Amino acid sequence: MKQEMDTTTPWMCDKCHEALVLQKVHVRYLEGSFEVELLKCPTCKMVFISDELAMGKMLEVEKGLEDK
Amino acid sequence: MDLDKLLEIGNQCIHLEPPVCVASCPVHMDILAFVSEIEKGDFAKAYKIMENKLPFSRLIGKICDYPCENSCVREKAGGSIRISELEKTVIDLGYVPPKKPFPLPKTKGNVAIIGGGLSGCVAAVELDKKGYKVSIYEKTNRLGGSLWAYEGKGLEKQAIEEELSTIEKKGITVFYNTEVSEQNLQTYKDQYDALYLGTGIWEKTYTINPHTFQVDESALFVGGKLQIKSDSIIFSASSGKRAAVSIDRYINKTSMLASREREGVFETRLHVKMEKISFVPTIIQRSSSYTQAEAMEEASRCLKCQCNECFNACVHMQSFNITPDSYIRSINHNERIILGTHHANAMINACTQCGLCKVVCPVGIGMKEIIHETRQSMVERGKMPVSAHDFALKDMQFSHSDYFSLVRKQPSKEASKELFYYPMIAFSAYARGLYKGSGKTGYLFYPGCQLSSTHTEYIGDIYKHLVGAIKDKDADNDVGLYLGCCGAPADWAGRLDLMPESIEKIRTTWEEMGEPTFILACSSCSATFEKYLPMIKTISLWEVFEKYGLPEVDIKKGKRELCIHDACATRHDSKVHESIRSIVKTLGYSVEELEYSKEKAKCCGYGGLVACANPEQAKDFVEDRKHESEHDVLVYCAMCKDMLVKGNKRAYHILDLIYGTEQDPQKMPTLSERQNNRKHLKQTLLKEIWKEETMHTDETYTFTLRISDDVKELMEKRFILVGDIEKVIDNAIKNKERFFNPKTSDYLARLRLQNVTYWVKYEENGTEMTLKDAYSHRMEVVEH
Repeated sequence: MKQEMDTTTPWMCDKCHEALVLQKVHVRYLEGSFEVELLKCPTCKMVFISDELAMGKMLEVEKGLEDK
Repeated sequence: MDLDKLLEIGNQCIHLEPPVCVASCPVHMDILAFVSEIEKGDFAKAYKIMENKLPFSRLIGKICDYPCENSCVREKAGGSIRISELEKTVIDLGYVPPKKPFPLPKTKGNVAIIGGGLSGCVAAVELDKKGYKVSIYEKTNRLGGSLWAYEGKGLEKQAIEEELSTIEKKGITVFYNTEVSEQNLQTYKDQYDALYLGTGIWEKTYTINPHTFQVDESALFVGGKLQIKSDSIIFSASSGKRAAVSIDRYINKTSMLASREREGVFETRLHVKMEKISFVPTIIQRSSSYTQAEAMEEASRCLKCQCNECFNACVHMQSFNITPDSYIRSINHNERIILGTHHANAMINACTQCGLCKVVCPVGIGMKEIIHETRQSMVERGKMPVSAHDFALKDMQFSHSDYFSLVRKQPSKEASKELFYYPMIAFSAYARGLYKGSGKTGYLFYPGCQLSSTHTEYIGDIYKHLVGAIKDKDADNDVGLYLGCCGAPADWAGRLDLMPESIEKIRTTWEEMGEPTFILACSSCSATFEKYLPMIKTISLWEVFEKYGLPEVDIKKGKRELCIHDACATRHDSKVHESIRSIVKTLGYSVEELEYSKEKAKCCGYGGLVACANPEQAKDFVEDRKHESEHDVLVYCAMCKDMLVKGNKRAYHILDLIYGTEQDPQKMPTLSERQNNRKHLKQTLLKEIWKEETMHTDETYTFTLRISDDVKELMEKRFILVGDIEKVIDNAIKNKERFFNPKTSDYLARLRLQNVTYWVKYEENGTEMTLKDAYSHRMEVVEH
């Protein structure tokens, strides 16, 4: 899954009060498993997913895997 | 699933069956394409199409005996299409001299053609094309034989000469003034790999194989007049062509008969319905032949015979531009591939399983059963896309849960005591019904999950009416109530593993209650009961209304005309159709019958869970249906109303008419409201009718939600429930699992619920949360 998002964001972790950093994140669905760079909280590791990513590329990959 | 059997069904489809004109043409000229090109005005292309199947088409096209015209379907509606005249015009306007032939090596064998008449010339040219070295032995000094009889009578000398001269230009050797006879035939047999005899007259009568034109098992093949025993030009040409196929197979030592069943004239399985064909008279040419314009007009009369009955009736097939023959091949491919993308998944999940195709199909092919079996197979093989039916199946689980599921006998006489005082017992049929309580449940009212979701307010009234009306005439039988889901969503989704959960519970309840008759208000429930619970006797609520009387309503005669959109699940239930029409008329409305009604009912788009798996396709169904009539629509299935109203077509459920609530503007509940309605229906009925308080209470949170119409619409489109949002925000507040945007002061939180992660963007104002966005993904993000 190709990464297609901004590397900076105004969003920050509300629990840790940290700015988000771009890091490799493991995502999986059905038989598919990928490493992608996503924004996350460096402390609690919570990963940020935008509407555009979820309803765009992620949905497309999900559908692709469902049809495999 | 048995794919070979499936493919056999696909082969039954007559969509690609040739029209009768092509089947009765001995060389099977593609008349449909030919006429279509003429209609477009492309005469050169039309000529090419002729040339494809017809050697020497410049000549034969002018003098053909046109068996096609005798069989034309147009005959009874203005006269056969004048293919004879069209061919002549095409030759005059579209003939293009052939390009110089490119000589290919002739290495496949040597063939002698005895007799250079029409059939011999055709056989020679065909064999030359196949790569044989061909020699023609002609007893006169010119080729063409009987063609010359048409000189000045349809054919011009120059055209005959030009066409015949192409034979030698191809490299075919012609021995003129060489007579071959029975006596010296053996010499030729020894010299050549095969002989073609097309002399018209021969001293010996051979027994010819009617399929291959071969004499015994020998290298001798007989065609032309000797074989057809007539003067027909086109049959003569056809026999030359067919003999060439046999000779090629004979020399190559391949099967003489395989796949040749449809050579020559055959009977097509295509039948064209005449009732919709309007009369258009033949175009008469003003001079000796058609002008370009006249030919185009005549061509436009052609019906282009093809079976598209199901395609024309089905929006789904139209969207995927597919007919059962190719649909079934796609399913076969989709089922067989092991690695790679299952491209047909989306199509398979976009069929509403309404069964209309089977009703209109002349050979009775129905995609409903095929799609059902395919989905079941996909589920069993783990190849069914999870997202397609996930929401509907979760919603079904909700209906199965204690939030909605409810079974109660009619309140006992003992428990209803306080109702039995004079004014009440005198004026309320319901109270009288309870007073007559027998303790034996003869009927069980089963409104179904969808009607309960969208027409919640009627359920209690209907129940009370049923108690009153039924007990009045049938004091022995009490009326109970059963809220639940029949399992139709699981059936549609191919999830047979989930069926027992619905079915078994219904069956057990039925047995425990003493086998009552189920009163069904939903057409999908009826279909499910018929399929999975045939032992249970059912009756539609509409038939009960007809039999026991309608609720007391204010009937004002002379109301509007409505068109009836029958529920596709009831297409074979004429009793329901009649009851509905009778009720509608009793209520004072007049009925407009749609073309696609009753047995030919069209689906609203909800069937087969298409509204869930492919909302766009579902919309196409509504669009198609809503333009069928200017009138408002009357429906008797809750989902039909939901789909039509959402598609901006004014639709009334028959209960809206009975209870006189023609709400305006029409608005259907959201997915969340539908669940809440079911929950509250159970609570209300228990409280009002059975005087019971429910254990379940709504979840309470420390915050309230504010959701704009825009966000609501987005949530509907994305199948996100208010309950999911609440859980996300509750978790965000409790565990601080959320992001914060200092610029906008918005929060963004996520929570994974079962197999979906929900994201909510919201603004916090004290305890009020204003929703800004909601979305979800199924992909799992590993956070560590």
